[in-house]
Amino acid sequence: MEIKKSVFLIAFLITIILLLSLLVIGSMMNEGRKKYVDEQMQIISSMSDINIYILMSDVYGDEMACLAFESKLKDWDKTLWDLGIKLERYRVATEEFQKDPFYLENKKLFNENQLLYMLFLKRMKEDCDLEKSIVSFFFKDSKECDKCDDQSFILTDIKMRADEDVSIFAYDLDLDLSNVRLLADYYDVEDYQLPCVVVDENVFCGIRSRQFLTEKICEFNPGLDFCS
Amino acid sequence: MNVAFNIFLYVVWFLATYYIVLLILIVLSKKDDLFEKRKFDFKKPPFVSVIVPAYNEENKIKYTIASLKKIRYKNLEFLIMNDGSRDGTSREVRESIKGDKRFRFIDRKQNMGKAATLNEGFGLAKGDFVATMDADSMIEPGIFRKVLPYFKDEKTAAVTVSVLVKNPKSFVHKIFELEYIIGLSLFLKIFSTFNAVFVTPGPFSIYRKSSIEEIGGFDVNNITEDLEIAYRIQKKRYKIANCMDAKVYTILPPTFKQIIVQRKRWYSGAIQTLTKHKDMLLNNKYGLFGHFVAYNYTLIFLGVCLFLFTLYMGFTNVFDNVMYFRHTNFNFWEHMKNFEFDLLAFGRVSFLGAMSVTFTMLMLFLGLSLTKNKKSERKLGILGYPLLFFLYQLFWIVSIIAVIRGKKIKWR
Repeated sequence: MEIKKSVFLIAFLITIILLLSLLVIGSMMNEGRKKYVDEQMQIISSMSDINIYILMSDVYGDEMACLAFESKLKDWDKTLWDLGIKLERYRVATEEFQKDPFYLENKKLFNENQLLYMLFLKRMKEDCDLEKSIVSFFFKDSKECDKCDDQSFILTDIKMRADEDVSIFAYDLDLDLSNVRLLADYYDVEDYQLPCVVVDENVFCGIRSRQFLTEKICEFNPGLDFCS
Repeated sequence: MNVAFNIFLYVVWFLATYYIVLLILIVLSKKDDLFEKRKFDFKKPPFVSVIVPAYNEENKIKYTIASLKKIRYKNLEFLIMNDGSRDGTSREVRESIKGDKRFRFIDRKQNMGKAATLNEGFGLAKGDFVATMDADSMIEPGIFRKVLPYFKDEKTAAVTVSVLVKNPKSFVHKIFELEYIIGLSLFLKIFSTFNAVFVTPGPFSIYRKSSIEEIGGFDVNNITEDLEIAYRIQKKRYKIANCMDAKVYTILPPTFKQIIVQRKRWYSGAIQTLTKHKDMLLNNKYGLFGHFVAYNYTLIFLGVCLFLFTLYMGFTNVFDNVMYFRHTNFNFWEHMKNFEFDLLAFGRVSFLGAMSVTFTMLMLFLGLSLTKNKKSERKLGILGYPLLFFLYQLFWIVSIIAVIRGKKIKWR
C-alpha cells in the first residue's frame, strides 16, 4: 500500500489554491470595507447641506431651520460615531503588511467632516436650544500619548451610556490638519498636554475619569436625560 | 499591524495546511485499504515470542496476562520480565501465569530500565519474530494472524498496530482517546504508505528478530526506545508496516499529572532521538523519511513559537482591556449591549485561523469515520479536542525547556 508521489504535488497545489482563495477573499473584504467607508463618507459629506440650514435660517428664520434639521441630527450623529469606530477597525483588518493610504486619506476627510458637523451642531445648539453636550477630544498616537487610548475608552463608555445626549468628536492631531490644529490652538491645547477633552467650551487636559467627565457634562447641561 | 507576526502566521499556516491536506488526500485515496486483511498463508506458522517488561505494574499486569492467555496462536511463548519492581508485580505474575506453559517469568531484582530489559528479552526469545508489549496493555486474540503476513516482505523489520485507549472514562481520557485513534492508529497507517513511520509504539509492536539484532537492539540510553529504534530501522532502509486491523488497548495514566510526566518523557525523548539522528534529516539517502521527520518537527517547533507569540499577544490584549475597563468600573454590560457582529471587521488572519480549525476538524471527523469510530460516542472528546491542541503545545514547551536545561527525564 504505497502512495504515488503525485499526491504530494496535488496536496501542494491544493494548498496553493486555498492560499490564493484566502487572498482573493481577503481582497474582496478589503474592497467591501473601502466601499462601506466610501458610502458612509458620502453620507457625512452631504452634511455640506449644512449650508442649506444656514441659508434657510437666514431666509425663513431659526424656527423653520431647526424644524427641518433636528430630525436629521440623530442619524448624522450615529453615522459619524459609527464611521469613526469602523475606520480604525477596518484599517487594522486591512493593513496586514503595509499601510493603506486609503485609510489615511479617509481619516483626514473624516476629521474635517467631524469639524464641520461639530460647528453646525454648535450653531444649532445656540439657535434651536438643543439639549446636547458637545465634547471634543484631542489625541495622538499611543507612542506619543500613552494615556490617549485610555481616555478614548472612557469617552466611548460615556457615549454608549449617553447616546444622543452627548456628541463626541475625536480629533487626531497626528494628521496635522490645519483646521483641526486651528481648533486645538483656539483651546490652547498643546501636544505635550494630551489627552485633552473640551466639554462645552471647558478644556480639561490630562486623563480624566468617567465620573469627572460625566459630572462636568451634567454640570453644563443639567437638562440631559442622561444626567437624571 | 504586526508585520512579523503576520508573515510568521502565513508561513505556519501554509506548512500546517499542506500537512493536513496531504493526510486527507492519502486517507481518501487509500480508504479502502486502511483495514486491509492480509492472508495468513505460511506453510508452518512462524514461532513468535512476546516480551512484556514490567516495572511496578501489580495493578495492571494481570489484565495484560489475561489478554495473552486468550491467544490461540500455536507457536508462541510469552516472556514476562520483571524489571526489579518494588511492588507486588512478581507475586501477581506468578499467580496469573500458573498452569500456562507458554509463559516464562524472568524475575530480576535489579531495575535496569525498559530498553535493557527488552534487549535481555530479545536474547532469550526463541521466535523469529518478537513482539514487545507494555505491561498495561491488552491485545486481541487474533492479532498474530493479522500482523505476521506483513513480514512476507523481506524488507519489513517491524509492524505496528492500532493503539487504542482501554475504557476511557474521564473527560481528559476521552480527549486523549481521540489522539490515540487519529495519531497512533490512522496516522501511522498513513505514514507507512510513504515509509515514514517514526515510532513503533510500546503498547504493542512486532519485530523481525534478525533485523533488530542487526541494528544492535534497543538503545539503553534513550528514554523513548520505541521511537529511537524506529529511526535505526529506517536508517537501515528497512520498512515499518502498519496493520490497522489489529488492535492493542492501553490504559492511560490515571491522573492528569501522570499524563504530563508521560508526555514530557515522550517529547523530550523525541528531541533526544532527533538530535542523535540529525544526520538523517533532509538526507535523500533515507528516502522520504528524513524529509518527513524534518518537516514534522519544523512544523511542531514553529507551531510552538506561534502558540507562544499568540499567547503573548492574547495576554497583552486582555491586560490592555482590563486596564481600559478599570476606568469604567468594569462596565462590561454596556459594551456587550453595544456589540455588533461585523463580518467586514475580520481580517485575512481571522480567516486563516478559521480555515485551520475547519481542516483540523475535518481531519478529525474523517479519521473517526474511516477508523469506524462513532462520532456520537465521542462527542465529549470532540468538544474537548481544541483543549488537546492547547495541551499539546504546553507539553512541547515543558519538554523543550527540560531538554534545554539538561534535566534528566525519568520514566515515572
